[in-house]
Amino acid sequence: MLVFQNKIGKGYVLASTYLCIAVTLLIFLILFWNSYPALSTVGFDLFTMTWNPAKDQFGVLSMLFGTLAVTAIALLIAVPLGILTAIFTSEILPNRYRLYVKSAIELLAGIPSIIYGLIGIALVSPWIATLFELSSGRTLVTAGILLAVMILPTIITLTDDALHNIPQQYRETSKGLGLYPFEIIQKTLVPIAKRNIAGAVLLALGRALGETMAVMLLVGSIDKIPEPFYNLLSPGQTITSKLGREVGESAFGSLHFSALNAIGFLLLLLVITLTIGTQVYMRKGIRTV
Amino acid sequence: MKNILVIGFVLLALSCSKPKNDTVRVAGSTTVLPVISVAAERYMKLHPDSRIIVNAGGSGVGVNQVGSQQIEIGMISRDITQKELEQYPETSFQIHAIGRDAVVPVVSSELYNAGITSLTLEQIAKIYRGEISNWKELNGPDKDILVIDKEASRGTRHVFMEIVLGDKEAVAQGADLVLGANNEEQTALTQSDAALGILSNAWLNDDVKGISILMPDGSIVEPTLENIINNKFPITRDLVLVTNGTPTGQTKTFIDFIMSPEGQEIVKQNGYVSISK
Amino acid sequence: MSRALKNNVYNTLIWTAAVLSIAILVFLIATLIWKGMGAISVGFLTSASENFGSEGGILYQIIGSLALTLCAAVCSFPIALGVAIYKSEYVKSKVFQNITDTIIYSLNGIPSIIFGIFGLIFFVNILQTGVSWFVGGIILAMMILPTIILASHQAIRSIPNSYRENAQALGLTQWQVIRAVIFPRGINGAFTGLLLGLARAIGETAPIMFIATAFSGVTVPRTFLEPVSSLPTHILALAQQATNPQALQNAWGSSLVLVSLVFIFSISALVRRIQYSKINY
Repeated sequence: MLVFQNKIGKGYVLASTYLCIAVTLLIFLILFWNSYPALSTVGFDLFTMTWNPAKDQFGVLSMLFGTLAVTAIALLIAVPLGILTAIFTSEILPNRYRLYVKSAIELLAGIPSIIYGLIGIALVSPWIATLFELSSGRTLVTAGILLAVMILPTIITLTDDALHNIPQQYRETSKGLGLYPFEIIQKTLVPIAKRNIAGAVLLALGRALGETMAVMLLVGSIDKIPEPFYNLLSPGQTITSKLGREVGESAFGSLHFSALNAIGFLLLLLVITLTIGTQVYMRKGIRTV
Repeated sequence: MKNILVIGFVLLALSCSKPKNDTVRVAGSTTVLPVISVAAERYMKLHPDSRIIVNAGGSGVGVNQVGSQQIEIGMISRDITQKELEQYPETSFQIHAIGRDAVVPVVSSELYNAGITSLTLEQIAKIYRGEISNWKELNGPDKDILVIDKEASRGTRHVFMEIVLGDKEAVAQGADLVLGANNEEQTALTQSDAALGILSNAWLNDDVKGISILMPDGSIVEPTLENIINNKFPITRDLVLVTNGTPTGQTKTFIDFIMSPEGQEIVKQNGYVSISK
Repeated sequence: MSRALKNNVYNTLIWTAAVLSIAILVFLIATLIWKGMGAISVGFLTSASENFGSEGGILYQIIGSLALTLCAAVCSFPIALGVAIYKSEYVKSKVFQNITDTIIYSLNGIPSIIFGIFGLIFFVNILQTGVSWFVGGIILAMMILPTIILASHQAIRSIPNSYRENAQALGLTQWQVIRAVIFPRGINGAFTGLLLGLARAIGETAPIMFIATAFSGVTVPRTFLEPVSSLPTHILALAQQATNPQALQNAWGSSLVLVSLVFIFSISALVRRIQYSKINY
């Protein structure tokens, strides 16, 4: 009986693990399998401008551009803001408040993306339109700003952890050398925490790339690269907004559906490479002080 | 133990797999949606055991899901394309017209008040092709035109582009935004003061004004119900329900209900033209 | 620039950034509460939605969202616990350890819209399930698996080896050791992870919008293969008509309810984490 139980127990945990692995592989396989028709027939024509399913033209350049632009804007805002705020919570804020502030920020990280979409449509996009005198507030910048707010809590909490985990003696020694507080941060703490801060940014980048709902509602969803390309106060398209809007209306099995799968697969590879890369990078970076 | 529970759960799920046959699933065009969702609410009050589940998504979704037999009724506001027919050889699409509607070029109210009340089809085509980009060129205010396009498989877009650009799947080079549902487009038009868009006649209100068409013979045709009924307005279409083969059971009674005087009253209340005049 | 001046500049920068960040976050919450409170009433929470959701309440949206999360919880919990135990108690080889880690992190990194597309292809089209809340629950379960696995694994790893050795010395089989020593702690960790996972799952729109939800006409699901309405997809539909004041008000109301549900899950997780971090072996 005991041996039998032992076997069932092992079977259960083993089955769970294999199921988990199978599910992950299945997602990759299914996406690749459905991308294949488009990848083989359209091939390198994917890297062109025109997307017109009626004529079997599937150019994804404008979506790649939009994704990069929106993500870059989000990082440009959120990274400096997040790291500076983390320095504040870790180094300036008295310890007894830190837990509360940190818990609050962690809670905010959980606000669903559709709510950012609503705030964007109802408030931010009209503000942007008025501020820059645009005829529409649905632009790459608007989507980028909302995305920045979304990833801000992630960057703050992870950077704060990285800084706070540095033993107190480093600060004391630096202080003993007569360094100013900013020099302690700049010359001692940040270099030590560099790897973990980079990890935080990469994680936030991964989230920004894959975010759908808010971006889809706010980016304008037009398959164009702005003219000139740095005029980011114009509407555009990202991979995720394209998927969110078109997957439902393309027929399963059609070339159109397959092309959408192909850009989904592209996004998946991008984000997964990033996530695994971060993980490997961080694993090497574990310090034993 | 836990495993057995999970397996049991899955089996239970599969055992009650097919939805009961008194459930009718409907999806598709957001133009037809208001009529059907109100009709469904009334119908379910009359037939408490029945269930009509209504979903949006656009005409493309309606055709695809009937084609792949995921739903019983598709709502569409355009014709089924050749490509779609070829996609689903096993499905015999059957069409039931339930009302008529006009697709109207619409502008933000600020423009309408500034004098943009009618355009020729040629002018509209030029705007969508990107050849006219400022309202000044049309004797309006000096503002860039915010050209709002719709997602490619939307019924409203097919009907509009067929008449304006000559091809229902034409690419609009001049477009600035691409949006989906009528509601979403209406919102963008309201939020802007220089926008031109495409909407179903039923979505016009004080903030989004339908403009009249200036015909080649010099007459001006307003988007009124009367002009839709007598086919004077150049861009009209049928609102259609599509089924796979002849409807039976609950699907049939529901469609019959929409065709009945009570159902057609709902069509009229929502701003469309009843087919039974 | 003198060092003292530089120090001041740095200080100002940090303070400005902190004030700005906190102002943004406070603004978010204040907006949600301020706008949401105006919409919420007993009637709003207990009646069905009407007329594109701009009238009536959100009863069936709440029920739908809870059904989806419950299903996700039931499907993911036992599997995640199993993986965590296998990972910590059975896997000896470093290579396999790395493989499972990579798999779990990959699953964690998959963008939510990709889960939606996968569900659409695999369940709706290949298995022909149709649009159903059960399928939505399974997809959400896949999405939150890594969160639960990692939390559970962490809890199990914190059990000192001497506990296992003592139990083994008593002549217990490996599974008995697991049941007596590993299970209680593992379940605790998994439960915390589950709460965190559910906080994420209940707010997701992209994975369920193609495969699990319908716009109107749904009430309490009678079978497994029926669509439901949910709070996130309801907000999506309402956000698209944001210039209709009634629709917008209902959108804010639904958002506040959704955020409250998310916070109930995440605050419970937070409290549990703080409690259990005090346990010392």
